[in-house]
Amino acid sequence: MFSHAFWIVITAAVILWYSTITVYVAIRGIKDIKGMLIRLGKQRDAKKTG
Amino acid sequence: MTNFFWPIDGSIIGLYLLATMIAGIMVRKYVGKVEHFLVAGREMNVYLGIASLAATEFGIVTCMYTAQNGYRYGFSGATPGLLQALAMFLVGMTGFCIKPLRDSGVLTIPELFEKKFGPKIRWAAGVVIVLGGLLNMGVFLRTGGEFLVQVTGLNIKYLEITMTALLLMVAIYTILGGMLSVLVTDFLQFVVMSLGLLTVTLLILAKVGLGTIIRAVESHYGAGGFNPFVNPEMGWQFVLFNAFLNLAAVLTWQTTIVRVLSAKDTKTGLRVYNGTAFFFVCRFLIPGIWGMAALATLTAAQIGPNTLHAMPILLRSVVPAGMMGLLVAAMLAADMSTDSSYMITWGGVIYNDIMAPFRKTRWSEKKGLLWNRMIIALIGVFLLFYGLWYPLKGDLWTYLGVTGTIYLSSMSVLLIACSYWKRANSWGAAAAIIFGALIPVSFLVLEQIQATAGLAKKIGPYYSGIATYLIVGLAMVIGSLLKPKPGRLVTEGGSRV
Repeated sequence: MFSHAFWIVITAAVILWYSTITVYVAIRGIKDIKGMLIRLGKQRDAKKTG
Repeated sequence: MTNFFWPIDGSIIGLYLLATMIAGIMVRKYVGKVEHFLVAGREMNVYLGIASLAATEFGIVTCMYTAQNGYRYGFSGATPGLLQALAMFLVGMTGFCIKPLRDSGVLTIPELFEKKFGPKIRWAAGVVIVLGGLLNMGVFLRTGGEFLVQVTGLNIKYLEITMTALLLMVAIYTILGGMLSVLVTDFLQFVVMSLGLLTVTLLILAKVGLGTIIRAVESHYGAGGFNPFVNPEMGWQFVLFNAFLNLAAVLTWQTTIVRVLSAKDTKTGLRVYNGTAFFFVCRFLIPGIWGMAALATLTAAQIGPNTLHAMPILLRSVVPAGMMGLLVAAMLAADMSTDSSYMITWGGVIYNDIMAPFRKTRWSEKKGLLWNRMIIALIGVFLLFYGLWYPLKGDLWTYLGVTGTIYLSSMSVLLIACSYWKRANSWGAAAAIIFGALIPVSFLVLEQIQATAGLAKKIGPYYSGIATYLIVGLAMVIGSLLKPKPGRLVTEGGSRV
């Protein structure tokens, strides 16, 4: 039945996508946080010095 | 009987809470301006944005009602998730509304409205956004507490004090670090939450089996458990109402929009939308599977009269000690990220738009930060008393639906008109705001009065919701067309100047 197959595929896609994106975002997100804090730190230092 | 084992599970939860507090408080030193506090200095990049948006949009209350949808409607209950993912993806691909919004450089949606409709509409939009959002959020704390009581077996007399302590922790890091703390803790919370959700889902699928779940849905609901169009409680009106609702939420829901406004540029904002779109299917289907597993394994007598408790009752019997700590940490993460984001984003509208008329002269950054922090503290106090210590009367879903539609219908129409219709003006905007509030509230009143309750039931929430969006759109068009164009004054002789 099409509707059964549709939801089985969606369920599999959800598990697969969510597992992958969790690992990927966990790694890339740390880089984003570091980058964001470095840029904000530079702004803060620039404000202090001048 | 619950499998919650305090020495192991309690330690996992304690470790998570400690890490969150340290991370949240550490970044406070980077907050020097109101822009840092409200939109993280617009330095948010794609993956942090995806983690933050996903964590914010999944709270315990979300988990409870999506699981209930799974229990009551089978796989069809996940339809709103598919519609929201589709809306998110289309908006992310095209930049519909959110591109002009981010390009304008504003801090909030009402600030954009002022450019087109004037300061009065900005103020009115701010009030509608804050009322809708805070009243919506008012029920989160108690629902979250009820979940924890069900799953951990915590004595109900400790519910208030536990959730008060949790809110206090969230308030401390949000007040100190603003959006920066919210983003960093959201990231941590996304990882913990996702690990918990995935582990518990795999455990349930291994113990119950997808085949058993599908058969249970088939036997209880037939084709309606898989197709919303043939489900007698849903139909095309349910799908259309949810299509409107989810598109409006994607365009204007404050916590979602702030991620676009905090992004380092417009392209990053659009990529956050595209990257998070499919999460909205997960958001509905993962707890939905938990709810359907409860349908397959528990009897009606085990669940009792409230189907909202079906999923936590299943979890407390299925999830073993050790993993229970991960589950509770995941749910606390989900709730804390939602609470912190709601506090900072709605607080931002209060400061930026509702208080705008009181800032005749430019305030110093120090004064602005102090006010923002005080507003968040006051929101915390409101949530505590309204949401936790004050018991909600009546039906939760009617309440959420009404408060949500009051805001979403008018704000989405105003944003679309503001972005793409030159002729749109303050008369149309005012009419849209009035009708956006009037129709859902009238429906609620009709439901409550005995003489008209039958009529309200016959109309139903979906037709009423669809009518709200259409009438609000019409009000914007008619109101705008009725207002004379500026510069088209007619002299006594009849000639135009």
